Amino acid sequence: MGKVTRRALIAGGSVIGIGAIGAGGLAGRNWLRDREPAALATQDAKGHLLWSNWSGIAHSYPEKRGAPKSEEELLSILTRAPAPVRPVGSGHSFTALVPTDGTLVTLDGMAGLVSHDAAKNQATVRGGTRLADLGPALAAVGQEMINLPDINKQSIAGAIGTATHGTGRGIQAVHGSVVAMRIATPSGEIIDCDAATRPEVFNAARVGLGAFGVVTQVTLQNQPLHRILKRTEVRPTDEVLEDWPALRQKHRNVEFYVLPFTGHSAVITNDITDRPVKPRGPDADTETLMGLKQLRDWFEFAPSLRRKLAAEEMAKVPPEEMVDEGWKLLSNERPVRFNECEYHLPIEAQIPALREVIAAIEEHRKDVFFPIEVRVIAPDDAWLSPFYQRESGSIAVHAYYREDHDFFFSIVEPIFRRHGGRPHWGKLHSLKARDLAALYPRWKDAGEVRRALDPEGRMLNDYLKGIFLDG
Amino acid sequence: MRALRLLPAALLLAACQSEPPPAKPLTPEESAALKPADARIAGLYDQACKSCHTVADTGAPLTGDRTQWDKRWAKGEDALLASAVQGLNGMPAGGQCFSCTPDDYKALIRFMAGRN
Repeated sequence: MGKVTRRALIAGGSVIGIGAIGAGGLAGRNWLRDREPAALATQDAKGHLLWSNWSGIAHSYPEKRGAPKSEEELLSILTRAPAPVRPVGSGHSFTALVPTDGTLVTLDGMAGLVSHDAAKNQATVRGGTRLADLGPALAAVGQEMINLPDINKQSIAGAIGTATHGTGRGIQAVHGSVVAMRIATPSGEIIDCDAATRPEVFNAARVGLGAFGVVTQVTLQNQPLHRILKRTEVRPTDEVLEDWPALRQKHRNVEFYVLPFTGHSAVITNDITDRPVKPRGPDADTETLMGLKQLRDWFEFAPSLRRKLAAEEMAKVPPEEMVDEGWKLLSNERPVRFNECEYHLPIEAQIPALREVIAAIEEHRKDVFFPIEVRVIAPDDAWLSPFYQRESGSIAVHAYYREDHDFFFSIVEPIFRRHGGRPHWGKLHSLKARDLAALYPRWKDAGEVRRALDPEGRMLNDYLKGIFLDG
Repeated sequence: MRALRLLPAALLLAACQSEPPPAKPLTPEESAALKPADARIAGLYDQACKSCHTVADTGAPLTGDRTQWDKRWAKGEDALLASAVQGLNGMPAGGQCFSCTPDDYKALIRFMAGRN
């Protein structure tokens, strides 16, 4: 988000803030909500070890853990191990896709580059390959992924299975680059599929939530390695909202983070360049984030002062630029854990919905300090893709992992739903099968494919039963 | 008497033999160059721990940098194991290793803390 430092944000404000607003009461309130969540038992009564997702919101104690090194081993697990059999990529989904009392399967033993085609700029990679490892592996053969999400810890199978995406007009989510796929199923098959071979499997299971089988490898359409200019600029939010259509047209990748209660947003653009390398400097986003938290801690009940102090300091922040290969700049480290709700809206509904979200949060939830992320994604043809046949504008709201996120459901999600949004499969939402059927034209078809590949429902945990069966 | 005079030196020698070399800060590049001796543990480390514990911006203590690890090591191995399994601050539960056993975690922690 650029160098809006904590020091800058709180400069001059501390004495006024603490003096003006009952320091003791604030300190107590902040202490209460800033406690580490209660630790879960490392093992359950049966001695099964804890598994938890990245944010800590989803957990379970799997009876078995599988780390297959071959498709044969994987098939054995899928067909015979205690159900539910749930694959885990990197555990970055906030939704309860992974928790299981049965068998947890990691593809960490099935990772890496299989082959590449220099003429077509394509590469075949194993499903367990983490995006962070894929960047340098592809760079070594002169390729790069067409786009990357905000973080790169995910496995490629997990990323495509949840429709993980980056930003950019005309650029599809990660699964949009998949031209062929191999999937191992609970029905005991290894299926190679693409747009022409077993197209129903390719279309239904590409964004498959890990419910159709386990994707063991994909062939990605990549592009030649490029250098990009990444630029971050803090601007007044009203100006950014007005300028958003033009920004989308002008830049290859563009997104912005609304910094609530400040009247400002951080705009991040990426464009292909031949400028000399200017490497990424030390991370400043974390300090900015903690600065926004500190402003909230001190001025939660003095929003006008909070806005004034933030605005004064942000006006002084110069734009920041860096130049490097895309795989080094498009994704970021996010060391501060959080929970998240993100919906993908018809592009024309994005800014009206965002205006409502900002107004609702600033009216009703003055404790919110995490930025709101705004991106754009091109349409694709995967049946369960939230971007199915429509250009989408995404809006993501976040909450610090130590703090409650109930406003996702009480305030934000109703706005997203009213504007026709589809939820990100890895991020928190409350929708069930009946709601989803109304949002996805090929929902029924996808369900038939899922039942054919997993007739006994061995991959359905409680959460996925709600998605595919109930409601 | 001679034996008594040698005692401090012997104790010092014993201390030197049981303690790792003095702590010094590592660069991320130096940290990333380290690898567990055991091949299986090295595989787990590469797949899980390394992506954060060799990158300064993650906030995770750098592998092998005892200036960052010694105060954590002082909590004891059991406490560190619990932190790894349960998560703490920026550290996600399980540390991204989904097939690790408690003994695997201990081996990984010992390696990252510069204890072997």
